[in-house]
Amino acid sequence: MTTGQGQERSAGRTGGADLRSGTTARSRRGFLRAGGGIVAAGALPPVLSGCSGGSGDGLRIVGVTDQQQPVEELLKLYRRSRPGEAFTTSFAPTEQMQTVVRTQLAGGNAPDVHAVYPGSGSAMSMVELARAGLLTDLSTQPWAANIPSAFGTAYRYEGHTYLYSAGSCLIGAIYNKRVFSRAGVEPPSTWQELLAVCTRLRARGVVPIALGAQTPWVTQLISYALVPNAVYAHNARFDDDMAAGRTSFRDSGWADALGRYQELQRKGFFNDNPNGTTFEQQTAMVATGKAAMAVQVSAVLGVFREATESPEDLAMFPFPGGDDPARLWIPAGIVVGLGVSVRARRDPRAADFIAFLGKQENIDRWASAVFAIPFRRDASTTVDPVLEPFLPIVDDGRAVPFMDQRWPNAEVQPAHFAAVQDLLSGETDVRGALGQMDDAYRRAS
Amino acid sequence: MSRSLPQPEEIQPEEPRAGKTGPGRTGPTARPRKTPPTVRIQPPQTPRTRPGRDLTVPPWGFVVPALVVYALVVLYPSIAGVAYAFTDWSGIGDASFVGLANFRALLDDQRTLDSVVNTLLLTIAVVVVQNVVGLLLALGVDTGIRSKSLLRVVFFAPAVVSPVMVAFLWKYVYNPEPTAGLNGLLGAVGLGALRQDWLGDPSLALWSVAAMVVWQYAGYSMVIFLAGLQGVPPELHEAAKIDGAGTWQRFRYVTWPMLAPALTVNLMLSTIGGLKLFDQVYAATNGGPGTASETLSTALFKEAFVYGKFGYSTAVALVLALFVAVVSLVQLRFLRAREVTA
Repeated sequence: MTTGQGQERSAGRTGGADLRSGTTARSRRGFLRAGGGIVAAGALPPVLSGCSGGSGDGLRIVGVTDQQQPVEELLKLYRRSRPGEAFTTSFAPTEQMQTVVRTQLAGGNAPDVHAVYPGSGSAMSMVELARAGLLTDLSTQPWAANIPSAFGTAYRYEGHTYLYSAGSCLIGAIYNKRVFSRAGVEPPSTWQELLAVCTRLRARGVVPIALGAQTPWVTQLISYALVPNAVYAHNARFDDDMAAGRTSFRDSGWADALGRYQELQRKGFFNDNPNGTTFEQQTAMVATGKAAMAVQVSAVLGVFREATESPEDLAMFPFPGGDDPARLWIPAGIVVGLGVSVRARRDPRAADFIAFLGKQENIDRWASAVFAIPFRRDASTTVDPVLEPFLPIVDDGRAVPFMDQRWPNAEVQPAHFAAVQDLLSGETDVRGALGQMDDAYRRAS
Repeated sequence: MSRSLPQPEEIQPEEPRAGKTGPGRTGPTARPRKTPPTVRIQPPQTPRTRPGRDLTVPPWGFVVPALVVYALVVLYPSIAGVAYAFTDWSGIGDASFVGLANFRALLDDQRTLDSVVNTLLLTIAVVVVQNVVGLLLALGVDTGIRSKSLLRVVFFAPAVVSPVMVAFLWKYVYNPEPTAGLNGLLGAVGLGALRQDWLGDPSLALWSVAAMVVWQYAGYSMVIFLAGLQGVPPELHEAAKIDGAGTWQRFRYVTWPMLAPALTVNLMLSTIGGLKLFDQVYAATNGGPGTASETLSTALFKEAFVYGKFGYSTAVALVLALFVAVVSLVQLRFLRAREVTA
């Protein structure tokens, strides 16, 4: 109020302006006051910029929602030995994080530590950001030396490590044991057994496989579950062949995989209208026993457990895309991790925090929180019992990264989403769907 | 700089005007005129300043701060956006000038061209249905019914809800389950044969989104039409009634022509809104299934933030902006020519 009154008094003093002349007089003090306002306005952007990021007061960490639990848990542990240091964290779903952080990266005020996706194939992927010179090299950190060579393309660009990620999550079938038991079926280990189990479940009035294909990322999971057997079991160098132009999606085992995807729908093993069903509805169907299983990533096991009254009823088995259980290949993708912005390169706190995350016990903690298998295990490592059926396959080297982690640009994955939705709605056939993906693959990144 | 101060002046009170006490009032009751008092007005106080130290700012100078902010917040990004449309910028890293390559690519890009068709279809559907429904609602609540105030609020309420919230709400309405949402309602009233996969069927998804938009903004159109209806002079209706005009004839020849300004505003707003539609589409279908409900706005968002093709996306945005401007101007010119006033 005082300020307001002061303004009024000031206005009264200048009330003698000669309006007839069309000009107004200002005292030097008034002019300086106005000039001060302009200077303050000019100073505002740097001030805001300082608040919003950079290495100002605290270390700023921005992640995706999937990372919230492990980051907050581990940050709490980290701060025990550094009580005086300030940290800020914020988390958002992938698309929001991607939009905001990419804009900040472009504007030069990126957070010190932020989410980075493994390999290539996404606008926030390690390769995309490292190529643009926006990530700090983490190669000298001790954990970087323990990355298995099979995962090298997910963590490294031109021989340097730019990504910290705790390990790989798996794609398989999350199933309701009680529903299986009621129908008198066991988890299948071959494609033919899978068809027989689905037939039996359907005959008992249960939806065999819940599919929430209205949520775009869900569309890809069945393809990814089938492609390792249809493609990589025969040609482990498929990604290199694609990059060199020696093959295409249309002329590869991808056609068999999408053919099987279509077969499951044609036989009525999905819920009605999968394109109108969301991930949340898919989850509820399995959790309530309306559906027997859903092909999903292990990272969402927690969500499925929260949706059911009896979490112990839910388990997971490797989705059998082939006919020989001893030669079953599965997808195991490196989970979204963290990178250090080049802006924070001179701030030792950022690299120090990543080094802390790289300790074996913390890798285990992070992996456990997101139902992943740590990229390196030792005697103290424990894996959720639900994932145990997958371990022999992973240890035998029959796990391949999620397919998009080697795609050359960010357009192939959305093209895959759209192609599967078109396939499910009958708008296209397998060749047409794979043609869309080939077109997207060949577009310049 | 010298300037003249107002001098004290003598102001004579006005002569009494004609009336009760005016000069026309003569006769024995007229009072003698008194000598008017002299009123002295003191010159306004001015701040004491030393000669030659004042800085004079012309009136337009006060606009400068606002112009500076406008230039920084609106003009600079807009012009920079136009510049990006001629580069291959990915949103991060360096950019190279590529001339008209983005615009040529746009013409060859079937995905973008499909989104143009979807945008036009969606706009036409929204403009037509939203305004028809809005007009009917306005006519309905402009009558003497007792609950008209409540109905106006109810019909307008969706317009103030966030479009994203509306999309999430309607995802439940459009639940494909036969017993849930709209399908459940259809089944309950014996229209089970009409149950659909509203958002999952490529032939329906775009129209389902259009219905959602119409539901949200029909009340907005209603309010504008209502303002137009209340501006129609009742005498015109009464005169038409005396001339024997029926209800339809009064609407056709009295109300409708007088609603032309409201119609212009409504058509303009709904056309611009339809051409720019983003939130509801993105939240409800994400442009799917496949690309069945992709609009220009969702397409350009994906180009920029999902595919990392910022330069190309800016070219699409520029074309969209020009398209909206041209359509709006043509529409405005056509509609203004048809307007009449009371």
